[in-house]
Amino acid sequence: MKERKSPWSFFSGGYLLLVLLFIYLPIAYVLLFSFNDSKSLTNFTGFSLRWYENMVQDRTMLESIQCTVVVAVIATAVSTVVGTVAAIGLSKARRIIRNIVLEINNLPVMNPDIVTAIGLMLLFISTRIQLSLATLILSHITFCIPYVILTIMPKLRQLDDNVAEAAMDLGATPWQALTRVILPQIYPAILSGALIAFSMSFDDFVISFFTAGVGINNISMYVYSMKRYNPSVNALSTLIVVVVTLILVLVNLIPSIRGRNTKEGDTEG
Amino acid sequence: MKRFWAVLAMLCMLAASAGALAADYDPVAEFGSDVLNVYNWGEYIDKQVLTDFEKEYKVRVNYSLFSSNEEMYTKLLSGASYDVLVPSDYMIERLIKENKLQPLDREVVNNLDNLAEGVRNLDYDPDNTYSVPYLWQTVGIVYDTTKIDPAEMEEQGWSAFLNPEYSGHVYMYDSERDAFMVALKALGYSANTDDPDELQAAFEWLREMDKAVHPSYVTDEVIDAMANGEKWMALVYSGDAAYILSENEDMGYLAPKEGTNISIDAMVIPANATNPKLANVFIRYILEYDASLRISEEVGYASANAQVLEELSGEDGAYAGNDAYVPRAGYDLDEHYIDIPESLRSQYSSMWIKVKLHE
Amino acid sequence: MKSFFRMSYPYLLWIALFIVAPMIMILLYALTRSGNGLLTFQFTLENFTKFFNDATFMRVLFTSLRIALLTTVFCILIGYPAALFMASLPERKQTTMVLLLTLPMWINMLLKTYAWRGILMNFDLESEARVFIGMVYDFLPYMIIQIHTAIAKMDRDLLTAAYDLGANRWKTFLKVTLPLSVPGIISGITLVFLPAVSSFVIPKLLGGGDYVLIGNLIEIYFLNAGDWNFGSAISLIMALIIIASMWATKKLDRNAQEG
Repeated sequence: MKERKSPWSFFSGGYLLLVLLFIYLPIAYVLLFSFNDSKSLTNFTGFSLRWYENMVQDRTMLESIQCTVVVAVIATAVSTVVGTVAAIGLSKARRIIRNIVLEINNLPVMNPDIVTAIGLMLLFISTRIQLSLATLILSHITFCIPYVILTIMPKLRQLDDNVAEAAMDLGATPWQALTRVILPQIYPAILSGALIAFSMSFDDFVISFFTAGVGINNISMYVYSMKRYNPSVNALSTLIVVVVTLILVLVNLIPSIRGRNTKEGDTEG
Repeated sequence: MKRFWAVLAMLCMLAASAGALAADYDPVAEFGSDVLNVYNWGEYIDKQVLTDFEKEYKVRVNYSLFSSNEEMYTKLLSGASYDVLVPSDYMIERLIKENKLQPLDREVVNNLDNLAEGVRNLDYDPDNTYSVPYLWQTVGIVYDTTKIDPAEMEEQGWSAFLNPEYSGHVYMYDSERDAFMVALKALGYSANTDDPDELQAAFEWLREMDKAVHPSYVTDEVIDAMANGEKWMALVYSGDAAYILSENEDMGYLAPKEGTNISIDAMVIPANATNPKLANVFIRYILEYDASLRISEEVGYASANAQVLEELSGEDGAYAGNDAYVPRAGYDLDEHYIDIPESLRSQYSSMWIKVKLHE
Repeated sequence: MKSFFRMSYPYLLWIALFIVAPMIMILLYALTRSGNGLLTFQFTLENFTKFFNDATFMRVLFTSLRIALLTTVFCILIGYPAALFMASLPERKQTTMVLLLTLPMWINMLLKTYAWRGILMNFDLESEARVFIGMVYDFLPYMIIQIHTAIAKMDRDLLTAAYDLGANRWKTFLKVTLPLSVPGIISGITLVFLPAVSSFVIPKLLGGGDYVLIGNLIEIYFLNAGDWNFGSAISLIMALIIIASMWATKKLDRNAQEG
């Protein structure tokens, strides 16, 4: 289906551009002030790389990013798998069970972080589990799964039950029905769920603070504990944006280069 | 061959001289572990100090951060074991009361003579049995001297927060304890009172403040805002004020005549520390001139080391002529906070919320 | 198909352990008398009566609900067209858009809010306007992604068929796209409204301290006052009120699906 360049598509393109501008405006601001000469966050006094030097020398900060990434990757992987499997299972449950479980599922989303944090801390204290990197990861998985389920559930509800059933009637095993019929259909939702889970884990402060073991800091713990603003965190954020952008560009370039080598892709409109 | 022997001899001498510095030095044998877990406020140290300490003692410092005494205290409830904490005075009092600290090894921490006059003989730990001061400060008013005359400011003291002429140009620090301290001091009461009538009077005073000057209730963003001169006056800790004054020369600092809070952040060793031996060494190291100088210069809060305090505020010091750097010491009306019971804290919270809601 | 339900057993175990068990402890705190961080077994309802006897707490809760509700509405109004337009892009561009929307979520929320503070200082805005810009900013990507996920890969054949049958764009939207996107909107509302009720950092930083919100209140009682009992009670009351209002929304969803 080839889209014609109608006034409508100009309008919709323009709208999306505006939304992106809105979303990237503060990011640009953070980037800009990572090059500021002074500590101020409102006055740009001149160009300097001092916050980058500062960042490189700050071991606590560098270790915090390592911790953040490790925790986010593991939490995302586990919560995406568990969440997807659970969502598929739940979609076939009786309505009353599904509703109750989904209501419980909403609790971590709804509760203020401090309540989730103290709740989990109490759980670890009462089971005599020492706080560590493991408890931090467990806690992150716990608050990430609900986001994955919430993202996948609507897509599952759109799915036609009959398709999977028909496949099974035609001799497919439940496993085949799952991997060949259901998963391909909800794949974009799984991806979105994973991305949201990753963001939630990446940006969490309160829950991390109260469930991480001694000496374990993530970026948010660093940022929130700043008594006085340290623009090195802007430098750090700039680094994150640059690295992620590079990854995105690569991920997008590789298939298109490969596609050109084999056959002209028809996905480009 | 001759050359080989010469080189070998030189290497032996080098090894011998290095050995003299640390003959068979092994941090694990010495301290039981080569890791030190330090728990301190964010942005409250010069990182180089940690690196130097690590090099000198061949150990590793695990440095974690908190942003309030209460946050730190709650984290301790989980049983987390740190080696050195840097809480404030009233929190140290609570930790001592609850048997959560262990006495310092005074054979190791033998440099308490370095302490400045203002941080000796403190009520919560008069003999430094458990704690060694780290940095200290007063609470005061940072104000724009081009908008408010210094003499007029001094004359008004805390009652400047009731002056309707400043309406819309005031930042109030969003901390119930500090806000009530201001009101209680303005009324001539103790900042540590639990007398219901006095607390009620302070509550009324704060409500009047809210009506009179319509303050913006802020936390640490006030530092950047005042450095930019966004408002005329703000309630600020002197250490942050020292930074503001060094960034913006129009700003002045006042510790009001009615008295204020002096607060001390001090190093302590928790009862459940895993490496108390190294913790004692660390505490001594921080109190020495070199480390104290770097920390206070970087952070802007007053050093607990007398020599550093004098030098940084002296003629060639980094804070020469900065009114906020050296806290007022020995003033009768100034007080430390004492640890108050939970019921009183809860009451503070309820009343402070009503002030902020303009009720 | 019942066998599929077994797939959720691991998750059921997980929530029993990590969500239900902690919440039971929070409930115990809410129902007992204070003991600084310690759980005592002196049962009482005074934490709840304290909340309802003081109109201040109710007012704070309603302010929080109002801000969360308006934030959600703005997010739908701005996010829905965005999700719709995204869905009409070629598939690879859609993925890129989703990634572009999530990337900013990896930058610390506090940093972005400080940035907004700096940006908005140059404009003369009411504090309420600043708060909503910050709140909508923070939550918009969730809404867009949820709605987009629901309508993406929606049968293009269905749309083409609708066009072929002579339906115009507007009619296709009303009859095909909108009903299919309702679960996405509901998911978006859940992901925006629920956390928005208890969030307070953005209003605090952008509203010039003019906002005392329920999340702030709960944190103050948990941390500053160390009164876990009252803090727990407030959070439970909040949860119950939200769950009640979400049931109402779910009813709407069901009606929309059946109607």
